[in-house]
This record gives sequence, C-alpha cells and structure tokens, in this order.
Amino acid sequence: MLACLCTVLWHLPAVPALNRTGDPGPGPSIQKTYDLTRYLEHQLRSLAGTYLNYLGPPFNEPDFNPPRLGAETLPRATVNLEVWRSLNDKLRLTQNYEAYSHLLCYLRGLNRQAATAELRRSLAHFCTSLQGLLGSIAGVMAALGYPLPQPLPGTEPAWAPGPAHSDFLQKMDDFWLLKELQTWLWRSAKDFNRLKKKMQPPAASVTLHLEAHGF
Amino acid sequence: MAFSAVLHPAFLLVVLPLKASLSEVLGEPFQLIPEILTVSIQSKLQQVNLQWTVPNLTHQELKMGFQIEISRMNASNIIWVEDYSTTVKRNQVLHWNWKSEIPLECVTHFIRIRAMVDDANYPPQNSWSNWSSWKEVSVQVSVAPNTLLIFPKSKLLEEGSNVTICLLYGQYLYNVSCMLQKEPIHGEQLDSHVSLIKLNNVVFHSHSGTNIYCQAMNATKTPFGTVLFVSKVLEEPKNFSCETQDFKTLKCSWEPGVDTALTWSQQDSQNYTLYESFSGRSELSDHRNSHNWKITEESQETYNFTLTTENNLRKRSVNIIFNLTHRVHLKAPHDVTLETVDAKKANMTWKMHSRGDNYILLCQVELQHETEVIHECNVSVHMSASYLFSDLEPDTEYKARVRCADANHFWKWSDWAQKAFSTPEAAPSQALDVWRQVRSENGSHVVTLFWKPLLKSQANGKIVSYNIVVENQDRPSEAEHYSVQAPALGTQLSLDMCSYKIHITANNSMGVSPESVMALSNDSGHASYRVNKVEAISHLKPRLTLMSLLTELQKNPGIVNPQSPAMKRYTCGQKANGVDMLRSHTLQQCYPSVLAAKEEVHEKRIKGTKDGFHISWEPLSGDALGYVVDWCAHSRDQHCDLKWKNLGPNTTSTNITSDAFKPGVRYNFRIFEKSVQQNAQLLEKQTGYTQELAPLENPKVIINNFTSNSFILSWPGYDSDFQSAFIEGYRVYLKSKEMQCHPKGKRTSLSDNSVLCEYEIKDPEQKSFTVENLQPESLYEFLVTPYTSAGQGPNETFTKVTTPDENSHMLLKIILPMTLCVLLIVIACYWKSQWVKEKCYPDIPNPYKSSILSLIKSKKNPHLIMNVKDCIPDVLEVINKVEGPKTQCIVSGKPHNEDVSIKPPSSVPTEDGSSGPVPFMFFENFTYDQSAFDSGSHGLNPGPLKDTPGQLGLLTPPDKLLNVLEKDYMKSLAESPTEETSLIYVSQLASPMCGDKDSLVTNSPKPVHCSGYKRQMAVPGRLPSLALSESNSLTSMILLGQGEQ
Repeated sequence: MLACLCTVLWHLPAVPALNRTGDPGPGPSIQKTYDLTRYLEHQLRSLAGTYLNYLGPPFNEPDFNPPRLGAETLPRATVNLEVWRSLNDKLRLTQNYEAYSHLLCYLRGLNRQAATAELRRSLAHFCTSLQGLLGSIAGVMAALGYPLPQPLPGTEPAWAPGPAHSDFLQKMDDFWLLKELQTWLWRSAKDFNRLKKKMQPPAASVTLHLEAHGF
Repeated sequence: MAFSAVLHPAFLLVVLPLKASLSEVLGEPFQLIPEILTVSIQSKLQQVNLQWTVPNLTHQELKMGFQIEISRMNASNIIWVEDYSTTVKRNQVLHWNWKSEIPLECVTHFIRIRAMVDDANYPPQNSWSNWSSWKEVSVQVSVAPNTLLIFPKSKLLEEGSNVTICLLYGQYLYNVSCMLQKEPIHGEQLDSHVSLIKLNNVVFHSHSGTNIYCQAMNATKTPFGTVLFVSKVLEEPKNFSCETQDFKTLKCSWEPGVDTALTWSQQDSQNYTLYESFSGRSELSDHRNSHNWKITEESQETYNFTLTTENNLRKRSVNIIFNLTHRVHLKAPHDVTLETVDAKKANMTWKMHSRGDNYILLCQVELQHETEVIHECNVSVHMSASYLFSDLEPDTEYKARVRCADANHFWKWSDWAQKAFSTPEAAPSQALDVWRQVRSENGSHVVTLFWKPLLKSQANGKIVSYNIVVENQDRPSEAEHYSVQAPALGTQLSLDMCSYKIHITANNSMGVSPESVMALSNDSGHASYRVNKVEAISHLKPRLTLMSLLTELQKNPGIVNPQSPAMKRYTCGQKANGVDMLRSHTLQQCYPSVLAAKEEVHEKRIKGTKDGFHISWEPLSGDALGYVVDWCAHSRDQHCDLKWKNLGPNTTSTNITSDAFKPGVRYNFRIFEKSVQQNAQLLEKQTGYTQELAPLENPKVIINNFTSNSFILSWPGYDSDFQSAFIEGYRVYLKSKEMQCHPKGKRTSLSDNSVLCEYEIKDPEQKSFTVENLQPESLYEFLVTPYTSAGQGPNETFTKVTTPDENSHMLLKIILPMTLCVLLIVIACYWKSQWVKEKCYPDIPNPYKSSILSLIKSKKNPHLIMNVKDCIPDVLEVINKVEGPKTQCIVSGKPHNEDVSIKPPSSVPTEDGSSGPVPFMFFENFTYDQSAFDSGSHGLNPGPLKDTPGQLGLLTPPDKLLNVLEKDYMKSLAESPTEETSLIYVSQLASPMCGDKDSLVTNSPKPVHCSGYKRQMAVPGRLPSLALSESNSLTSMILLGQGEQ
C-alpha cells in the first residue's frame, strides 16, 4: 500500500494539469481583461455622476430614461440573449473591440465640452483606462489567434455633429454615450467571464482516489 | 426696325430727365419707390436682412428717408414700423436688419418699405412714396407627427435679459409640459400648432447652459429641448492703472471682474485689449488682470491708455491718461547694512536704484521690536543713505526696515527692505527689589531673602548670578560673600542674633547692578511685635555683667532699647568671648527680657473687594525710608509664596491687586516701615477677604454632661487660615416636640408640630452651649452652625439625642443586683444540674429500648424473661387482691427480688391464679401522656387504692396517684422487699378494653374512657386469667413469667 502511494507521488509531476511551467495560454489575460472591465465599471459610475450633473437636469435626474432616439452611430450593447449565447469567441471579442474603439473616440469628444479642469482630468483618466481595456482585448485576441478588425476607410467615427444638431440633442448624445458605455462594460464583464470559464483547463485539480484494504 | 430699336432707348434717355425736370418745374410729386431686392433670414440671430434699391434715382447722391413695416402672421397685423434715413447713391443696394423677438421659424412675417426724399438741396417732398409690395419672411420647417420642435435651438444671452421660446407641435401631439431646469414653465398658444413661452430676466445656472425640456404625455416619452446659454454680464475693469519701476516697462493692472465664459463652444472668457492713443499701438493681454507694456520711445512722457474687454455679447472699456514720471514705483532698497555703535545706538545704511544723484527720494525708516513699530521716520535721501537709531535697549533684538518713493511725485512706496539686529549687553541699570522673611530658630536668625527678577529693560542682558554680601554691623570687617546662580530668586541664610546689613546685586556679563540694602536688627525674627520707641537706657553701663543686665531688664522691662550697645554686646558677643554657655544664657535669659519691651501688633480686619485690598496705615516715624507690604499668595498652603510691595516714604495707603486672590480665602498682610538704616520694622497686621463666603462645614459637636434635663454641647474652633470668612458667632438649633425654649432663644413652630429653638452665640470664641430645661425620655435634635457676614454654615441633618429616664438610675440600682443574683443562681443550678436532674426529673426508660428484649433474643431462653436489674421502673404500684385489704396486700407480698429473678416462666399465673394473693403494680410513666393526665381521661387510670382496692383505678388525678405511690406503696414496697409479686407490663400503645368494657365491668373496675391509654403496667402473675382473657384488647400486655408477649 505504501509503495503504491509512493509510486503515485513519484508520478505526480508528470500529470499535465499540474505542470504549470509551460505556456499559460489566454486564461490570465482574459482574467486581467475581466478585472479591468470591472474596474472601469466602478470608475464610470463616479465619472457619469459628475458629468451628468454638469449637463444639468433632466440628464442628472435618477428617473430620466428617455427612449433611445438618435445616437445611432453609437454601438449598441443590448442584444438578444440567444444571439449573445450563440456568438463564437472571435465574434464576441471582435464586437467588444469595435465597440470600445468607437466609444473611446466619442468619449474623447466629451473632453471638449467639459468646463472644469477636474472634470477634464477625470475624463482623460477614464479614456486612458479605456484605452488600456482596448489593448487588453487586443491581447486576448492575439493570444487566441484572431486578427484585429480593421477600420473601414471613411467610417472612422468622428465627433462632428451636424449643423442642425441642437445643443440639447448633443447633451442627449452625451447622456447616451455614458449609458451605452455602462451597458457595454456590463456586457463585457459577462463576455469575459464566459470566455474565462471556457478557456479554463478542464483538469485544474487532481483527485487522488486511493483505496485502503485492511490496514 | 433696327433704327426704331436704337431710337427707342435713346428716346427714353432724353425723355426721362426731361420728365423729371418737368416734374420739378411743375411741382408734381415725384415718387422714388424703393424696390426690395432680397429678404434673407439669419435663424440663429433671429434676424431679417432687407436689401433694396431706389430705382430711378437721377442724382448721384440723395438723402432719403425710408419707412419699413413688418407684420406678423398676416399682412394687416403690423408689429413694427421703423424709419431709416440715409444718403442714397445711384444704384446703391441698401441694407437694413431687424431682430425678431420670436424665432422666425415659428411665425411668418411680412415686410414692406416706402421712401421719401429728405435732402436740403431739393425741395422737400411732402409725402411718402407708395409702399413696395409685401414680402413674406418665413423659414420652412416641417414638423413630423408626434414630434415637437423648440426654437431657438440654442441661444446665447446675458443674465437679466428676456427671451421668447416657441414650440411647434407635430400632429397628434398634445398635453405638452415644459420645464426650465426643474421648474415648470407655461406658454401662450399662438396658433393651433404654435405656442410661445416668454422668459423674463433669465438667470445664470451653469456654464453648460440652462436646459428647457418638454415632454408630451400622450406619445413617446421622448424629451424635446433647447439650451439657453445665459452669460453673466460683462463687468467694467476696475482700478486700472499703470506704473513703471525701470522706465523700460509699464506694468498695467486691473481687476477683471467675473469670468463670463460658457462651455459648449458658446463663449470664451472675455478678452482684454490695451490701446495707447498717442502711439496708436494696441496689444491683446495674455492675462486677465495685467499686461506689461514695453516702453519703446523714451521721449514719450504722456500715455493715454484704453482698456477694452469684450465677449460675444458686450464690450466695455476704461481709459487713463498719465505722465510716466508720475507713475514711478521704485524697487525696494538694496545693500541694507546695520552696525551697532554701542548698546544703545545702531546705524543703518542702504542704497536705491535711481536714475541719478539729482533724483531726490523720500524714504521711510521703521524700527520694530517684537512686531511692534517703536520708531518711524521719513528722510529725504539720494541714491545712498544712512540713518542712526538711538535710545535702543541693550541686549535687545530689533528689526529695521526701509522703503522709498519718488519725493517729487509721490506715487507708491517701494517694497520694504529689512534687516534684523541685536544690541549688545550692558550692566543692569536697576537695583533689585528685595525682601526678606526672618524667623528665630535655635537662637539664630534664619533669613530667607527674596528678590524679583529684573525687567528686561532693567537687566540689560542675561543675569548670570546674584551677589549677596552679609555685613556684620558689630564687626564690619567680617563681611561674608555669597553668590546665587540665576535664575534663583531667593536664598536662605542662617545668622546669629547680631545686626546685619545685607547687600544684594545682580550680575550680567557686562557688570553689576546698583545694590539693594537691607538691615537686620536682632529683633527681626519676631514679626508679631513692634518695638516701641523708647529711649536708650543711658544708665546701662558698658561693663555690665550678664547677671546684672538681666536683673536690670527684669526690673525695667519696658524701657530697654534692644539697639543699645549694651544689649548688643550681650546678645552678640558670644563669639568674641568664645563662650558658648554665655550665648545660650544670653538667648534664653536675656532675650525674653528684651521682648518684654515690645508691643504686640494686633491684627486689624479689612474688607477687600473683588479687585483686591485697600490697605492704609499710620506711619510710626516721620523719617521712614519707605514701606513694605507683604503677604502670602497661598495662605492655606504650606508653601506661602511670599509677595511684597515696596512703597515710597510718603505713602500711607496702597491697593494690593492680584489675579491669585480667591474669594473665601483669608489673606494676611503685614506692613513694615523701613528706617533710614534700612531696617524694617513691623507696623501693622491686617487681614481680610476679597469676598467672604458662607462656612462650608459645621463643627463636630460633642455632648457632655448628659442628664435627663440637660446636656452640654461643645465643639472645636476653626483654623483661622481655613475660615472662608470671619466667624461672627454660632447658632445652635434645637428641635423637639412640646418644648419650651429658653428665654434667650428664638422659638419657631414647624409644620410637624415640633418646635425649633434658635440660640445665637455672638462670641466666636465661645465654643460650648448648655441645653437646659429638657424633659426626660424625650427626643431632641440639635445643630450647631457658625455664621459669618456671608451667611451661616450648611443646613445639615440634625443630630438626634434622647434624654434618659429620671428614675433610670434607681432602676439601675435594683436591676443590677437582681441580675447578678439570678446569674449566680443559674450558675449554681448549672453546677448542681446533675443533682437537680436526679431530684426533679430523672431519666425515663423506654420499654422498647429495654435491654430485656435483647436478652430474650440473645439467650433464646423462653423461661428467662427479664432480669429486674435490667429495668428501671418508673412507678411501682402494688395492687392488692380484690378481696384483700391494703395492709394485707403488703404483708402477704413475697420478697420482690426473689419473685422477679427466680420465678420460672412456668409459674406464670393462669386463670386459676386470678384469685391469688399477689398484688400487681403499675409501672407508670407520666411523661408519655401528660395531657391525658391533665384531662383526667385515662382508660386504665387506677383510682386510689384505698378507695377502690382491687380495681383498675378510675377517675383519680395523677397527682393523687403520685402521692399515693410516693407515700404508701413505694414505702410499702420498701418495707416488704421480699413479698412475692408478679409484674405485668402493659404497653402504652395498646387501647385497652375498648369493646369489652362490659366484661370488664363484671370482673374488674370499669374504665370511664377507653382512649388515651398509655400506661405501662406490671400485672401480677396471679391476675385473674378471666380478666385477662376477656379483656383481649390488651394485646400488647407483657405477661411476666409467661415468656410471651
């Protein structure tokens, strides 16, 4: 019996799941991306409060929930649950990457409207963090061997409201930008959690089943 | 045809001027009707731009007047008429603008124009020309169903202005509510699909604008809105001025006022522009509140500046004109030096940036000490200057500073240039304020010297030490030197009884202070006495012996001058003589005689105020050097903290103030007079309180001489230093029910029917009080409390006391011996308890615990029932045979011991033996059923045998039975010990003869009751068996001799 146990212990390093010296795979970077997403969620909560107060009522009222009209250029985070489930990893990551690329660009435009230096600083800090998230997603995609989506020429989003766009509608756009960003971060957390579970090696732990026969 | 074609225009050219000339000549009205070229709209500005020409104008220039009409919604609704005059050139296109208060998108407007010549060179035209045709002014806006358009889309306006907002409703839209920030706003319906909201006096809310948003409740929840960017009103710059320091740059500055910037690209912060009219230069400032203007032309002396500030809504400007030399703000002086000349003088030098030596400057010099300006002076100087500070304090830190300005055209002081410096030390300038406390101890003077620290202005440096020189007045050559290191403020010396002079000085590094002198006479230790002015005993010869001196002193105690040389010789000459014995003799024998020559100074009471005490005194001599008042700052503490005040020679009163004075604390003041010889003599003693307080506690009272009619209360006095006020007396309160107050007392009836007597003791020294006329055996309550001018002591609980009974002492005399007697008897009884027990209540045997049972069991001998020796009978009763006489019974009885011990079981009487001559006995135990005895209801209580012989006794009281037993039967037993007697034990537990009394009646005495039978009986062996057999209820009867129970 003792010899049996010793044999098992001797061969333990050879168990592939326990051998951590090799390539860790995309797992850690997905985890980092997930963590960054949660951090950005927290950061946005504070930033959005300040910015919506700056926009003034009704945008800073808690029950202000207008139907989404206009703001069509913003990438939409809401998606049918079945559709979301059926997304493959590549598509899921591509959608995330594209969405944050667009959102980041719009977000930089907000900076021009900000009145106070503190608000500008907060926005700049958030943009930097979001840039980091974008890089993190790109890293995951690269680790999984997916190519980065190329922006189509001429479709580069720009903060250029039309002449007929009223200031009130611009404020509404800002409101939607922050709201959509919030939804995207929430969705991304789900996305990366799903990816994380999916990428997790199946044999993360080894159960040794020993039978004792009459000591 | 071609010709005609050419001719026609030529004709017209000829005809038209002709026509005009004709009109002029004929005086016909000549109409120049303006022609509207275009009507354009600037929606954001809500502005209508009108362009027109005046056709048919023949003159090169003509001054004309125009009238423009604007109507709203329809042409007849004219809302605006404006006249406009201008000089019109031929073929000129004229412009005119109009701003609508209502956004032009909402309502259609119409515009037309007419003209009139208004030129002096031409005859006046009396009437307007015809109107041009109406031109419609409108912006085509289509409103989709279920939507709302709000105009203007955004608007920049100034705080306090008015604005009109219009709403265009789409189809199916109704019930629209609008809000400004969070406040609802209401409009007026202009049309079925247009409404106007007028906002007056708008206020600034945020840099990001004020949101107006509307929502229709029927359709979607989509908000529609617009943003009003309300700017703060641009303010005029204030305090605009320019100055130069170096004649190279003009520094212009101003207060900018509020920032009018708005976000959302609506309006930046206002800008500031400087324009100088003489040079024609204009510069935009980089800062909000200042600008550096470079002086390019040195020859320019006068400057005319216009500062203009501007934002999107408004422009404001201010103007100044000045001469450059009048706006010189000099730079701060440089190269400032300070040099101390001596301890009280210092010289300051400085230099100025100046344009030349001819340029005169005004400089302000200041000297500061501890941030306080102590010297200030203005001096006129050139490029370099100096100033001498004098009257400085030695060893003091100062700060000197200087600033300058143009002396000819004062504009502003330069900044300060400053330098700190310290003056060197100097010798202390003031003598120490000294005082002493003297006490006699073991024949010497213990002198404690005190001095106050010198003020900084007096010390002139850091005091290092204090020098004390003690000079013996009798031997001036023998001076002792002491040195006390600073910061000590006192020292203690032990001196003999001689007269001394003490010199005290303070030293710093630069020298010694003037000395303070104190003289000590040989009586200085007795501060309670004042030496009277008596003449010296001139007849005391210098060569008096000690004994003769003492004798002399005792004879004339009141006329001894302690300062006399003779006295001094005998009080201080010990060392010189080297005889210690003499010293002790002198001190102990001589000195009391000296004291006798003094008068005790009585303490005077004074009344203080919350600020302190006013003390006045009577001078003793006319040539006093001064007076000293001393007192303890902490009179209650062990540490006195002596304070004193030195006063001048002509002073007879002073105010003593101190923050340390507390209410309810007694302060003792002593006033000394300083003589010419620097000797201080006690003049007066005064004591008082800044504020007297009621006593905090009552004295602890002791009761003495306590009798039934009186007792004496006594209490200790208070320490005077611990009194919170002067005690004026005591009040004794006595409380009781039904008490007669002493005539001296004050009677008060209390609510509980008790009487309170108040006795006042006006002498504070009296500390006892006799309470008299009391009732014996009564409760009294008393309280003793001191009273002062501030009130009496606390109302504590009364002490209760009960007077003793008048006869109690008599009772005591009786009860005590009696108690002793009883005690003795009890002891005696206890001593003889065994004997008494045997006599009075011997032990009663319990048959069940009798050893006979164990004997029966152990020996298992059915024949031997009991040995009589084992039993201790309670009662032995001899029962005669029924027919036998009493005497016969006793005579016929066999010897007792023989019968019990020898008779075998076989001889137990049978039925036949019932008529036998053997008597039976009762073994009676009275303790078993005393109650039964008492009640007299005993089932088998045998009656007196003499009355009812042979029967089980009935109705006989137990005492009689006892008597009988004692007197007769026990005696008879004793007399006939050999008589044969059978004993039968009858159990006390059995109930005899219940139910069989009939049978008993026939054979034996009939019992009255069958209950309560608890009698032990020894039945004779020859008891008739019939009686036994019939009375079978005696189940527990022990038949002696039969061996059966």
